[in-house]
Formats: sequence, C-alpha cells, structure tokens
Amino acid sequence: MTRFAMGFEPAAARRSWWAVWLAGVAGLCLGAAALFAQGLDPSALLRPATDTWPTYNGDYSGRRYSPLDQINAANIGALTLAWVYRARGAEIKSTPLEVNGILYFTAPDNVWAVDARYGREIWHYHRPSEGDHIGHRGVAMYGEWLYFTTPDAHLVSLRARDGRVRWDRELADPKLGYFSTMAPLVVRNHVIVGVSGDVTDIPGFLDAVDPATGELQWRWYVEPAPGEPGSETWPRNSDAIRHGGGMTWMTGTYDPELNLLYWGTGNPNPVLAGQARPGDNLYTCSIVALNPDTGKLVWYFQPSPHDVHDWDAVETPVLFDAPFGGEPRKLLAQASRNGFFFVLDRTNGRHLLTAPFIDTNWTAGIDSRGRPIRNPDMDPRPDGALVEPASDGATNWMSPSFDPQTGLFYVDARRVFSIFYLTATGKPEGWAGRDRGLWANSTIRAIDYRTGRIVWDHETGPGENSAGILTTAGHLLFTADNEDNLLALDPATGKTLWHLNVNDRLSGSPMTYELDGRQYVLMAAGDTLYAWSLPAGAAAP
Amino acid sequence: MRRWIGSGARGRGDRRVRALPYACGVVAGLTAFSWMLAQAASSGPAERGRRQFQQSCGFCHGADATGARGPDLVRSKVVAHDVNGNLIGEVIRNGRPDKGMPALPLSADQIRDVAAFLHERAREALASNRVPAVYPLARLLTGKAEAGKAYFSGAGGCNACHSPGGDLAHVASKYPPLELEARMLYPRGAQPASVTVTLASGEQVSGRLLHLDEFMVSLREASGWYRSFPRDRVKVEVRDPLAAHEALLGRLTQDDLHNLFAYLETLR
Repeated sequence: MTRFAMGFEPAAARRSWWAVWLAGVAGLCLGAAALFAQGLDPSALLRPATDTWPTYNGDYSGRRYSPLDQINAANIGALTLAWVYRARGAEIKSTPLEVNGILYFTAPDNVWAVDARYGREIWHYHRPSEGDHIGHRGVAMYGEWLYFTTPDAHLVSLRARDGRVRWDRELADPKLGYFSTMAPLVVRNHVIVGVSGDVTDIPGFLDAVDPATGELQWRWYVEPAPGEPGSETWPRNSDAIRHGGGMTWMTGTYDPELNLLYWGTGNPNPVLAGQARPGDNLYTCSIVALNPDTGKLVWYFQPSPHDVHDWDAVETPVLFDAPFGGEPRKLLAQASRNGFFFVLDRTNGRHLLTAPFIDTNWTAGIDSRGRPIRNPDMDPRPDGALVEPASDGATNWMSPSFDPQTGLFYVDARRVFSIFYLTATGKPEGWAGRDRGLWANSTIRAIDYRTGRIVWDHETGPGENSAGILTTAGHLLFTADNEDNLLALDPATGKTLWHLNVNDRLSGSPMTYELDGRQYVLMAAGDTLYAWSLPAGAAAP
Repeated sequence: MRRWIGSGARGRGDRRVRALPYACGVVAGLTAFSWMLAQAASSGPAERGRRQFQQSCGFCHGADATGARGPDLVRSKVVAHDVNGNLIGEVIRNGRPDKGMPALPLSADQIRDVAAFLHERAREALASNRVPAVYPLARLLTGKAEAGKAYFSGAGGCNACHSPGGDLAHVASKYPPLELEARMLYPRGAQPASVTVTLASGEQVSGRLLHLDEFMVSLREASGWYRSFPRDRVKVEVRDPLAAHEALLGRLTQDDLHNLFAYLETLR
C-alpha cells in the first residue's frame, strides 16, 4: 500500500492497484460510511482523496506533496484570492484539516471551523488555560470528533459539527512543566499524542488513547526504564535518566504496510549541561519506529547523540519509496535541526546517508553508524562558545516536503550563529544556560536524497525563517520568504514563479484541496488565512 | 554609578552644576532602594527558609535542595503543587517513615519559610533558560589579552575598520561584558548598509538601504526622500559595513573569541 502511496509508480500500475484496493476496501467502508456520516472514516487516511486534507501532513507519509495540478506552473500567474479569514490577533501556525468542505485549524486555546469554499466561520471554540502558549499545530479527526491539545497538557475531544466538548483529559501534570502544542495523529483506533516542556527536567513520552473515551491504550517513555536496553546510555547511580527530557512535540508519520509509527524526539535535560548525563542519552534527539498497537520500540536512530544544544530531532520523518544505491527502497528522510540530512531504510532503521544540508561548525566528522560526532570544543561553557547553528537550529518545525516528480527533498534552512553560555553553578537543572543569537540568514534548499547534494538554493532573507513547504503535481512549490512575500517556486530549479507581499510572516505550512472541481491553496500569514485559487469559472488548461 | 556621572558630565560646563544635585538624589534613592531589596532578600521568608532548610533538611536533601541522600526537591511534584506550605508542611510534620524520613518539629512559620525557599529554588530552575543580564566578567575573562591584541591587528583584520585609540577607546566602559562580547562578534544595527541603484538609463540613485528582497529595493536618499525600484530592472550594489563581521563568524575559533574579548576588556 505505502509503496504505491508514497513512491514513484507507473500510472498503469497505479490504476490496476486502485481497482484492487477499491474492491477490497469498498465493502469495509460501506458499513463505516453510515457510522461516520460527514466525519472522517479513519480508513480514508490510508489513501486521502484530493477533496480532503484529513491529517496534519495531509497523509501518513509526511511528504506534503499533493497530486492536485489544476493550479500549475503554466497558470500560476492567474492565481487570485478566493477568500480571506482573520483569526483576530491569534497567530496561525497550524495546518488546517479539510474534511467534507469544512476547515479545522487552531492557535493555542482556540479551534476554528470555517467553510472551506467561502471562508465563513462555522464555529469557534475557546478554552483559556495556564501553560506555555508558544504555538499550536492543529487538530486530528476520527469519525465526527476532533482531538485538540492544550497549553495545560490536556487532550480535548470536540464534536466536529458544533465544537462542543465531548471529553477533556489531562495528558500530563502542567504543574511539572508539561504542555502540548502538537496535532495528534490517528492510526486506526489509536489517537497518538505527544507532549512538550523542556524548561523543567521531566521525562518525555508518547501516548496512544482510545478515540471514543480518551483512555490510555499505551504510553512509550522516551527514557528506557533502568536495566532496559538504552538505559546504559545514561549514568548509573543517578536520577539523570528519570529527568532526561525528550519531548514528542511534532506529529510523526506512519507506514500502514509495515505497521510502523515513526516519531522524532526532543533534546535531553538539563538542556545545555551534559556533564551530569554522560552517554548518548537514548532515546532523546532520536527517530524511533514504534508498533502503533503496543507502543513497543522496533528500531531507533539518533541524529544527535548526547545533545547539549537543544537540537530536537522532531522534524518530520518523511517516508517515500524510491531507488537508493540501484535498488528500490522504503526510505525515511529527515532534515534535522542539527543541520544534517539523514536517509534511513525505514523497514529496519539501517542508516544509508548522512550529509550536511547547511554549514555547521559543531562536528568532528561522522561516525560509522552515520551519526555526527560532537566536537566538545563547541559545547556550551561559562565563558561562551560560538556555535553554528544556534539553539533554534538549522531548521525547525516548518514542514519539509518530498516531491516524487523531481525526486528532491526540500527544507527551509538557515545559517545561524549564537554564543552558548553554561550559566549553572552547582547541580545543573532546567536549561542551565542559554545561547544569545548573533546573526542569521535563511534559504530554501533542494536536496538530492541519493547523495545529499544541494541541487538548488533559494535565499529567503536575513533572520530566521518560519515557513513550511508544500509541493504539488502542478510543478509548484509553495512557501514564503522572511520579507512577508508568499512564494510559488519551480521545484526543479527554485526559480520564483509567483509572489505576493502580504505584510506578515508565514509561520505555518501551506496545504491544498479541491472542492467542486476547484483547487484551493491555503497559506496563513500572521492571524490571516488566505485561500488562493484560479478565478472562478476559469477553465483549467 | 559614580564613575558614569563623573565621566558623562565632564565637559558640559555649567550644566554639570545643575545636574549634580539631581543626580545625587537619584543615586541616593537607588542606593536606598537596593539596600532595601538586599535587606528584604536577607531577612525575607525565602532567605529565612534557606537557613532553616540547611539546618533541618540540608543533610539529606542537599544545602541547595538538589538532593543528596534524599531526593532532589527542586524537581519535586509535592513542591510543584504546594501552596504556601500546605503540602510541604504535611511531609515535614509527618515525615515519610516508609522512606526513612523522620517527622520534624518545625513551627507553622518555619514551614512557610522553608516552602518559600523551595519555591524560589524551583523558580530559579525555571528561569535557567536565560543568561542573567548581570553576568560576572570574571567568568568571561578566560582568554589572553596579548593574543587577542595580536589577532586584532593580525589574522582577525579588525584594524582595517577599528582602532583601540579611536572608535574603540573606552569601549569596555561603554557596554556590560555580555553586550560587549555580542557586539564584538556582530554589532547588529550598529551601522546601516548603504546602496547604489543603477537604472536602465544609467542614472544612479544612492542612499541608506531600507529594504531589500528578491523583488524590490528601497532606500532613503540624503534629501530624506524614500525611493523604491523593482529588482529586475535595476542593478543593485549594497555596501554593508558589517560584512567583515559576518565573514569572521565562520572563522573564529573559541580561543580567538576569548582572546579578542579579553583584549577589548582592557580598553577601559
């Protein structure tokens, strides 16, 4: 299934496979259709229709590539506004879901349902809360229900038709420093949900909860229990492993054929002080493959062993099937916050490629397992260490994209320098220091996944970027620069095909859907959601 | 403080005379205020709690409450949920016999003070993701000033734009240490970039660069008027006086950085 959903496949094979798939699934869906009415049958997530965007990344692969091509490189110049929706002061960093003509998107404490054709608000849910309001990525949907995480680390289930609360469960104790910003992921009858919070030294975990009741199905702790495999990467006779951090704050991806869930984990704690936690500190700053039914770890790969710079490895683990080394492979690729691009065999976690996607100064080479080797000269210190990249990283939450038409992986990257000060005296706790930013410059980069070679580079201006990326079958790449311009680029060359100054930053990721034969591309800048399409009635070439 | 008034007022003639009583008043006020703060800190509940804690609890939980034989209380769930000693007091009064902690005969006031101390310790950990604005110079001074001086005029090439007796005279007195270190590396906004735009006609327009992106460039001319141009129809030449700093960021070793900083700190 995923081989076809995610890879390069001849059109004929795709059609014949579709026939088999439809025959097999139709029977199952008939019964479910009545049950889910205008909601979302979770089996639809296996092959999202082009009139929906039913999960954070659009589909399980995390490629953020849409097969829609009505808006394309030939007609992009005619792009016009279909409608605008303003969230009145709330910065929209989330990716909207679109199901049955309704958009669902978020900001901390807020969920909106908006008509996907006309931009009219259907309902708005507001739940004031304590906790960190740094941002919010969006909701998940199962049947007629939405799943929304909160700054006080709750998971709230809302009825999609009117935004009424069905239940509201605490995921983790907010008094200990937990909060949650991520968009949960639905896999069959599991709602997979993660947590944030690295200011206090609390353990990270990933939960699966029952979609109907919110009851816990399993919890996977980022730190193994003492004595379990991985615990040897923490000091013995110390409480470090129980306070090791590793937050699960970005939405992962899923391969239905392998039945594996892929998730990135955050930095270890105390954040900048590694001396109290010698060792690799598994499974922080890692990409892990879990069984979604049991929460058991199947394999792992660690982009930043023993991190001391806050370089979470939570960036989307993107899944695609493509040739590598002359053979068709099931791949997983991540452009990680530490500045390195990793390609793995996602069936077993075997490392295939490590390559820098931007300049960094913190490594002393790559080890035999494909992991960057930390240069201790670049560790935070009381008198300051000049390091590239800064703690915000060479990239961050902004969505990357993989375009099967070009075979290129796209990342919103930046060069950024800062000085890391280790300020703790006595036993380090919490962050135990901080970096002070000096200079940054941003760029969109296209990476050849087979070699790590940068195929093109499109500068997006001084400072740190925040725009995610969408590619489409219309030979378009949607993103934005640091100067308030929304952009459509040629994914093959990086050349600009369309732009518009909207006087605010894109801080989320673009998404697209087609309704009544009309394709829409949505991009949120600041508190405003813009829906772009071709002029109504214009015939698509 | 006093040094600032002295040097700042020098050379301003009789204005110094009028400013002096006012300045003295401000200094006296500030001194009194900081004294009051210091008194509050040394006699407030958190400070009393610190002494009480060290005496009654420090042996097991560590003098700074980060744990020894007993657990780390800065990261404690009980402390996180406690309000004015309501939960901490329970543990102190009853002990934790199952874990070997005896009950302690502290008064209600003493318990409130200990709770105030533990909450302050937790707040300190929460605030540890910031570099304190006042950061001890001694911790930053790990380099060799002589080596820094050599780098300034040698490999660093700093002397191409700067001189210790000119623009950098007394620079260490002008900025707090952390600020000086950051500005030494990249003095953001210190000097604006200038730009020359050449139009298709050959006409040239120069001024202070206001905005530059892929699509347009704008500038302010010496006359004060704003001008903007499309990038695809003009030639743009930017002169960024900070370009050398940008290049240096990628070249500096940690030793260069600390040596250079130690040298700048001698320019008082």
